[in-house]
Amino acid sequence: MASANVQETKYLTEFYHLPEFKGLDGYKKNGGYKELEKALKMQPQAIIDEVKASGLRGRGGAGFSTGMKWGFLPKNNEPRFLLCNADEGEPGTFKDRMMMEKAPHQLIEGMIISAFAINSKKSYIYVRGEYDDSINSLTTAIQEAYKAGYLGKNILGSGFDHDMDVYRGAGAYICGEETGMISSLEGLKGQPKLKPPFPAVQGYLKKPTIVNNVETLAVVKYVIRDGAAHYRKFGTEKSTGTKLFSLSGNVVKPGNYEVPLAYPMKDMIYGLGGGFKAGRQLKAVIPGGSSAPVLTAEEANRATLDYENLAQMGSMLGSGAIIVIDDSNCMVQCLANLTHFYHHESCGQCTPCREGTGWLDKIVHSILSGKGRPQDIELLIKVADNMKGKTICALSDAAALPVLSFVTKFRDEFEYFVREGKSKVKGTAFAPKGDANVGH
Amino acid sequence: MSVVTKENKNIWYLPGVLTGMWITLKHLFKNLSNKKQMLTLNYPEEKYEYSSRFKGNHILTVKKDGAIRCTACMLCATNCPAECITIKASEHPDAHVEKYPINYEIDMLRCVFCGFCEEACPVDAIRLGPEWQTPGIKGTNFIYDINHLAYRPQLKGGVQSAVDDQDRLKAGI
Amino acid sequence: MSDTKVKCTINGTELEVKPGTTIIQAMTENAQRIAHYCWHPGLSIAGVCRLCMVEIEGNPRVQIACNTLVTEGMKINNTSEKVKDAVKWGLDFHLINHPLDCPICDQAGECGLQDQYMEYGKYNPEMAESKQKKHKVVDLGPTVVLDSERCILCSRCVRFTDEVSKTNELGIFNRGDHAEIGTHDGKKLDNKYSLNTVDICPVGALTSKDFRFKQRVWYLKDSDTVCNGCSTGCNVKVYFNKEGLFRVKPKTNQNVNGHWMCDEGRDIYKFVNRDNRQLKGRKYGNGSWHEEGHAGVAAKDAAIFLKGAKADEIALVLTGQNTNEEYEALLNTFVNIYKTKNIYHWWPHEAQAEQFDGLLLRGDKNPNTAGLKQALTKHGISTKWADLESGLKSGKIKQLVVIAPENVFQYKDLAQKAALFGQAEHLILATSVKFPGIETASLKTATLIPLKSYIEKDGTFVNYKGDVQKFKKATTVVSEALTGVELAHLLAGQSLKIEVVPTADLLTAESNTRKDQVTLDHRKKNEFVFNRGRL
Repeated sequence: MASANVQETKYLTEFYHLPEFKGLDGYKKNGGYKELEKALKMQPQAIIDEVKASGLRGRGGAGFSTGMKWGFLPKNNEPRFLLCNADEGEPGTFKDRMMMEKAPHQLIEGMIISAFAINSKKSYIYVRGEYDDSINSLTTAIQEAYKAGYLGKNILGSGFDHDMDVYRGAGAYICGEETGMISSLEGLKGQPKLKPPFPAVQGYLKKPTIVNNVETLAVVKYVIRDGAAHYRKFGTEKSTGTKLFSLSGNVVKPGNYEVPLAYPMKDMIYGLGGGFKAGRQLKAVIPGGSSAPVLTAEEANRATLDYENLAQMGSMLGSGAIIVIDDSNCMVQCLANLTHFYHHESCGQCTPCREGTGWLDKIVHSILSGKGRPQDIELLIKVADNMKGKTICALSDAAALPVLSFVTKFRDEFEYFVREGKSKVKGTAFAPKGDANVGH
Repeated sequence: MSVVTKENKNIWYLPGVLTGMWITLKHLFKNLSNKKQMLTLNYPEEKYEYSSRFKGNHILTVKKDGAIRCTACMLCATNCPAECITIKASEHPDAHVEKYPINYEIDMLRCVFCGFCEEACPVDAIRLGPEWQTPGIKGTNFIYDINHLAYRPQLKGGVQSAVDDQDRLKAGI
Repeated sequence: MSDTKVKCTINGTELEVKPGTTIIQAMTENAQRIAHYCWHPGLSIAGVCRLCMVEIEGNPRVQIACNTLVTEGMKINNTSEKVKDAVKWGLDFHLINHPLDCPICDQAGECGLQDQYMEYGKYNPEMAESKQKKHKVVDLGPTVVLDSERCILCSRCVRFTDEVSKTNELGIFNRGDHAEIGTHDGKKLDNKYSLNTVDICPVGALTSKDFRFKQRVWYLKDSDTVCNGCSTGCNVKVYFNKEGLFRVKPKTNQNVNGHWMCDEGRDIYKFVNRDNRQLKGRKYGNGSWHEEGHAGVAAKDAAIFLKGAKADEIALVLTGQNTNEEYEALLNTFVNIYKTKNIYHWWPHEAQAEQFDGLLLRGDKNPNTAGLKQALTKHGISTKWADLESGLKSGKIKQLVVIAPENVFQYKDLAQKAALFGQAEHLILATSVKFPGIETASLKTATLIPLKSYIEKDGTFVNYKGDVQKFKKATTVVSEALTGVELAHLLAGQSLKIEVVPTADLLTAESNTRKDQVTLDHRKKNEFVFNRGRL
């Protein structure tokens, strides 16, 4: 089953096993803040060029080139902001949480370097409200950094000033979308903003703003340490570097695993994940967080974990949350879980998403309660199809894509449920989470 | 009707008159001898039995609780070719009812009993009922007000509508 | 205007637009139809209704027209099957949780959802699930009622209170399909422009308390006119039927009022309606009111008094509430025929005339103060109000003609002025509205002449900045009342050229008959002629 190489490549997570890595002293002992000193002596443009050359792509989900994103900033002296997106709301993702809890200084160092590169005087870390431990460890670490002179005025005598704050979100999924996050930071209702203008031109407080994921910003430190060429050795030509994957679902050993991109999915599930409980076998995999289209067992076995391969298979790498589903699960019930989530989390701004997520949820729940009509399956596809690409942000797509993939790839299960009024998979009893009609 | 003048002036009217009278007499004797064959009725002692679906005087239907079903949407008044319906709408204290008529009048002398009001009604609030005797001694007797239309004694407390608010709400419509 | 223009093709028509124009602006300005709800020319772009989809050549996805700028050589169309399908589904998403209670909805007949559905509807509803329940009949404030279920969350009203009235009362609460418009705890939607939210609401979610359930909109006709509530002179539409006026809405005029009008101006229809009007001419003498007569007769009788008086015994009082034409006619009568210069400007708002709330409302509550001033200057009249007071007290002024204001609610000094005018030996009071306090005022002799309101006549107003705005007669409420011009002629002793049609000829009067009119003569030919044959 699994091939020989089932080792993690600990690049970012090298010292994560050390409890002392969390504090400033332990962090400095293991090479912390050396790259900051190095970077502050470099030209900001050189850092941007280095990041561009490394081929680093955003680790939050969209996989957009980080260096290119920084390049969109207007070339003037307007104040600009760096925001760290730590609102890790995607179901199945828990990598940022580990990074913030185990190595807050790693993120802070990466952020100061990035801020220096884009010449930003102020940055915020927008942390998901439920992440109490992350917030505590980040605030302590920031205080330590201020004391040690890594933050504040004239950092390490370079003349560069930088301030950093932690902002606690209120737990809305939509605030993980960059413009939604900016709205929330501004004190408005967490709703995505119309693009254009893009945040790099007009973001937080209408000033140029760069929003990056926790992992992306932490990686910047290592790109500076080892150089772009070394970083490119991991992964493939277009998907460079290592990535943290959050493996969850019906595997024996779920958890965060750092592997280079283009790592075979099979090795991830059967090797690092330890395979399944006795007698169970793979049925489906959601490869990139709940909004990624599902892969069948056959597809999963030949997939590799990089942006291009998964895109080719009609899915996406997303935030790197691999949800493994074995054959004891009913796909209709799995989908009901997802539609319920998106119905609950739609911000309600754009009509197709506001009404469509609710509609999808209601249809799936009516199938689950045995009241499904034969035309409902076709209707699910039609509704999801018309939600795709029609809204301001990608939540509508995120809700529609799983529905489309679940229904098309596991149509027999849906048809069985509609026909018989019960699940094709024996022994599954599903308690729908709340009524789809009632407010949450 | 127009008057048609005949060209031929030399005509005897008397035979025509007598022929007519003879026909009348013939029928008189026929009917006297055989009452069962008689085509006319001795109204008001005898009355014709119309079908229960006969479309006569209007009825405003009521809900289960006896309140008037009409929502004062004025579609009947809009659709009425004789313009005989006058409605005044008002705000109902119950938010689920919202709008109701405080005044609903039908001028029966203008009404042509076309039944368009019944067809236009979205909530089965107005029907044409089986009543067909509508006597009155002055004009105002023929302007039926809301109470007469919904609760006249003949209706015995009102005709219940097939559409009900509570049922509708439960069904989530 | 800069001469640089951007060329684009919309639905096959080549257009040139200014740089920075969005596609939806280009389309609406060039009379191309495009479905939209959340976009409003007077508000910022929200881009949430997702209906204004267009296809741009070279772009695989349909785009929203409201947030896409026209660029050089852009080829746009919104008639392709792809766009039609997107709009159809977009509309269906709007409707799946809409209660469809058109029969009791005040917006029915002028509703955005109804209009769009006729054109882009799916016509086969596929929603079998139960609808989302929300709050009904929410009291938002003194003027507006909200029905959350009908709301499509286009956020126009929210943006209006944020951007135009800048009062920020409204907001969207909750998320997803249970999101609702509302006000913050204990706050009310209470500002001077609140009813604009009702106008811009594309559905029946926001309804006006004043107009609610009074009429179905399809029973109303509308006509353009100018608001006479204050010196801004907003362009408005009045909605009326044979029972009178029912509501006033703003009409877009970028030079004067933009897209909006104030709530105060929406109440002006009330004094035009019959209940508040002076319907007949009346006379006062020997301590009591008596003799109700035709307005024209009352005016002719008044003229006899004026003719018998000396020039300096006659005085005229005018307010800024009449039209330029009326001022001209009246001044002509008094200055040229009666040779008097005792013409006074009754203007209680003089002290507050310069007040302005920053948007539309002005302190001068007269629509035509500027017009009156021009007319007075033209005829070389410069008098002081104190002269009138002393003239009346000393008995120098005997015949006093007062053209009373229409919007009497804005004249706080009516009772006091009625007492002042009552000192004249003979008061000729021409008024359209029942003059409050005239019944109880102590008078010597008086004649009351009903006037037409501004809705019932053609005319011209000059607003605060000198814009001359013509308006047309909308309807007639009191047919017997006189316009100011007619009054001027009658007071001058001239007779009016009223073409009277004898009652007997009314049915066959030539003006009433069209060439192709079917008359009784025509009917004869079509009638069946029964041939009653002989037996």
